[in-house]
Amino acid sequence: MSQRIESLPVKSILHHKFFQHAVRYGLTILLALLLFAGILLITGNKPIPSYRDLFSATFGSAYGFSEVIVAMIPILLTALAVALPSRIGMINVGGEGQLYLGAIFATFAALAFKDLPGWLVLPIMGLLGILGGALWAFLPAFFRSIGLVNETITTLLMNMIAPKIAGLLVFGYWHSPRETNMTPNFVDAARLPTFFGTRIHLGIVFGLVLLVLFWFVMKKTRWGLEMRSIGGNVQAARRNGIPIAPYMIIVFCISGGIAGLAGMAQVSGFYGLLIPNFSPGYGYMGFLISWLAGGDPLGILLMAFVVSIILTGGNMLQITIGLPYAVINLLLAFTLFVVLAKPVLPKLLKRKTA
Amino acid sequence: MSLLALLGVLSSTIFSGTSLLYATLGEVVTERSGTVNLGLEGVLLISAATGYGVTVSTGNPFLGVLAAMLAGGLSNLVFGYLVITRKANQLASGLAVLFFGYGLSALIGKPFVGKLINSLPRYMIPGPGELPLRYTSLFKFDFLIYLVIPMTFFIWWLLYRTRWGLGLRAVGENAETAYASGRNPGMIKFQALFVGGLLAGLGAAHLSIAFTMNWAEYMTGGRGFIAIALVIFSKWHPIRAIAGVLVFSGAVAFQLLLQVSGVNVSPFLLDMIPFILTLTVLLIWGGTRKHSAPATLGRVYQGTE
Amino acid sequence: MKRLFRILTILIVAVLAISACAPQATPTAAPEAPVQPTAVPATEVPPTEVPPTEVPTEEPPCLIVGATYGGPIMDAGYNQAMHEAVVAIQENISCVEIIEAENVYDEAGATTTIENMISQGAKMIFATAYAHQYPALDLAQKYPDVIFEHVGGWEMSGNFANIFGKPPDVWYMMGVAAGMMTETNKLGFVAAFPLAWTDVFVNAYTLGAQSVNPDVQVIVAYTFGWGDSAKEAETTNSLINQEVDVISMHVDSPQTVISTAESRGVYSIGYQNLAAQQFAPEYWITGQGFTLGDKFTWLASTVIDETWEPIFLRCGLADGCMAIAPFGPKVPQEVVDKVSQVEADLESGKIVTFAGPIKDQNGEIKIKEGEVLTDDAMSNVDWFVQGVVGSPK
Repeated sequence: MSQRIESLPVKSILHHKFFQHAVRYGLTILLALLLFAGILLITGNKPIPSYRDLFSATFGSAYGFSEVIVAMIPILLTALAVALPSRIGMINVGGEGQLYLGAIFATFAALAFKDLPGWLVLPIMGLLGILGGALWAFLPAFFRSIGLVNETITTLLMNMIAPKIAGLLVFGYWHSPRETNMTPNFVDAARLPTFFGTRIHLGIVFGLVLLVLFWFVMKKTRWGLEMRSIGGNVQAARRNGIPIAPYMIIVFCISGGIAGLAGMAQVSGFYGLLIPNFSPGYGYMGFLISWLAGGDPLGILLMAFVVSIILTGGNMLQITIGLPYAVINLLLAFTLFVVLAKPVLPKLLKRKTA
Repeated sequence: MSLLALLGVLSSTIFSGTSLLYATLGEVVTERSGTVNLGLEGVLLISAATGYGVTVSTGNPFLGVLAAMLAGGLSNLVFGYLVITRKANQLASGLAVLFFGYGLSALIGKPFVGKLINSLPRYMIPGPGELPLRYTSLFKFDFLIYLVIPMTFFIWWLLYRTRWGLGLRAVGENAETAYASGRNPGMIKFQALFVGGLLAGLGAAHLSIAFTMNWAEYMTGGRGFIAIALVIFSKWHPIRAIAGVLVFSGAVAFQLLLQVSGVNVSPFLLDMIPFILTLTVLLIWGGTRKHSAPATLGRVYQGTE
Repeated sequence: MKRLFRILTILIVAVLAISACAPQATPTAAPEAPVQPTAVPATEVPPTEVPPTEVPTEEPPCLIVGATYGGPIMDAGYNQAMHEAVVAIQENISCVEIIEAENVYDEAGATTTIENMISQGAKMIFATAYAHQYPALDLAQKYPDVIFEHVGGWEMSGNFANIFGKPPDVWYMMGVAAGMMTETNKLGFVAAFPLAWTDVFVNAYTLGAQSVNPDVQVIVAYTFGWGDSAKEAETTNSLINQEVDVISMHVDSPQTVISTAESRGVYSIGYQNLAAQQFAPEYWITGQGFTLGDKFTWLASTVIDETWEPIFLRCGLADGCMAIAPFGPKVPQEVVDKVSQVEADLESGKIVTFAGPIKDQNGEIKIKEGEVLTDDAMSNVDWFVQGVVGSPK
């Protein structure tokens, strides 16, 4: 356990940090909304009623709000899968591929063990999902640890292979003439339980628990300390006897496992089946969220929430003002641009790690 | 296998590879200056939608090609503003541009979905005389196809035989040194991005105006990412990019040939091959320490202001 | 800060400006009347003051119809055909209001979209994409007072019904035309997915072609996407390189396939929408399209006067639910006559498309002598008839 003494009471730090976060994200979003209002004006729509639609679709009803939470689940997990290895200076762009492998492995279990009860098949699916993601992360981590090739490039390439494996399996083995591009629906036992009559499923618990665990490990354990020292200065860490290569491989595999769990949660909790290209870029969104939040757990939670509002609210804009759903990606992009360009009060909000 | 089928694989490879080669060349230029744009897919989408839209509204495909180039160049400048002027992280900025492209292209393209266009006119290659239309149509190419190989050599010349190219590569290898020797790394990176964007625009224009002759959301289908992989495959070298594109497009054409010949091989399996190949060569080069990547690729140039 | 704004907006405006004049220049088929009182026509300059209160000045609509599409509504294909049918409801019954959502690709998206439509007051839902059937069925259970119509599926419940045309018979007629027009005796078929309906269409098409030309072969190739245009172009080309001289398709938008065939000087036969003909001015044979506007209108009217009942509706050419496109300039009169004779024979029952004995690719008998493939069994077909090259699964 770390013996580090915090200079301020935990509670007040939380408050302070929370306030900082709130200001930073608030201003960011305001600017992004202003930019997107320009787009709305150009397309002949009134921004204010459009935004009212967007927010009423997300905050206006219990159902709408529940959809925001549902949308948060995969990106929360994939963001964690990026944040964790970033602490030891590794860049995981491969969340997308690891997500697919997790989904594929979990689907295998769901289709193979149709007759098992839920308390048995769901843990199997979860474990296989984690295994799938971890396997997909192992190769890049291994090659990096022996100094062969940078993990950024390998994970990116492996992202492109993963959906094709899904396609191969779905069209080769897992689909019936009644399905187009998907497996049959999973049996109920292979579906994660949902809550409150909404589509919120157990995946949100995975996300939140792992988020807390992540915070705990980084702040309160020797592992966290060692990881931060690797991330800070590899040479110094090596001199201090920290085993670099095992850390790289294990941490990367764990993060792959988390992304794989996200894939399992999507197919089991959300879709209830596997579609070969089901992800609209959850892995990449996770990368951005983790990056925006500077790898900070609370920031990840907030940023994932914001992104989910955008993704969920966009659907309503399509219905009410006929804006193509894909256009909502612009609002997402503007949010990112604003953060990336760091325009607002740079002194006050400068990230510590920058 | 008939002669037509074999010539067909060649023709299909050329037709579908052209857009990919332009995009790959564009990314080679930007990466040579030390900037990696993961959002190439988004840039391609914006260009394809703009080019298609201008072609529909003006009736002139050549104006469409110009507009697509311009749109590609401008989109890359947005990216450049983030990573050069604001010194933002390249990977994150690239992904932001990706989502920007998803959104903006859907917006630009919406009025033109399902609209008929005058596609780029095609000219017969000189040589073969009287052949049935099915044969001659195999080798009637638009000017973008005729242009693509000379363009590759032009880019090679630009990068390796001009002062501008020397400066660009110097910035990619070490911006600080380049600055010390009197160059302006920021400006050079911007120029590289703009040229890369123009090339990406050409590729996108070929895709929507000449090849598919329509516009649909997400129509590039991952070609931007494939181009990024091909840049690695070709070791950041324009001429070798031709080989990379031939492997990739050839695999697709060959896979379709198998399918229509009644041979049942999963297309997904064959689609994986180029990526596995790229990974393999990457590992081999990694082992022999023969990296050809620009040394500062992906790193943010902090500047010396 | 200022610089950011300036540069960003200049760039955005510049990129947009390239296409900005276009929407006005080309009169796009008007998106149906404003869906919400808040929506303003594109040309109107939005007022800067706070928008007026949203009290609608006119009567509230007698019925709000929500429609979900699996692709873009102006695709000159399936989605446009469905969109036109939905718009016809409002043209015929002016008090109906329509809410639409295009590009709803998957099941999960359909659930969200339909939920949002119901929250906007929709009392009738047309779920027009294949993948929207089960989400719609689930929501039909959740909202018993909303009427659901799915297009092209098979499920039924108390407030959930199914409607579709009868494409197989028309495919048979298309096959007759193609079988007479081909010189190489090879017909190409670009399909999205190995799907029961696709197999049925290919089979009907092949049987029709074989009825006039026993040597004919149909080559099927898949793109594995309803709207992957680059793949469609590649697939069409590789079929043509197999000496195919007539191309047909079962993808959402026929645009790329037909444009590519035309550029290679190969005949095409359209599907989904009569608008497909514009892409092949020269080498067009004929095509079929869905014209479900009258049936949709009738269904909506029964919802308004509360006489709606769940009916498993399949309606063909004679009912006006499908239509055949005009023949192209290169089609001889004898082909036109033959096709209309076959149409009459199909109508009178003299020809039955799927009448046994029918063998599959391996020579196994799939439909016995004296038996007929039923509408119900069509959803489970996973075989091709003899004469088809390609994998049915």
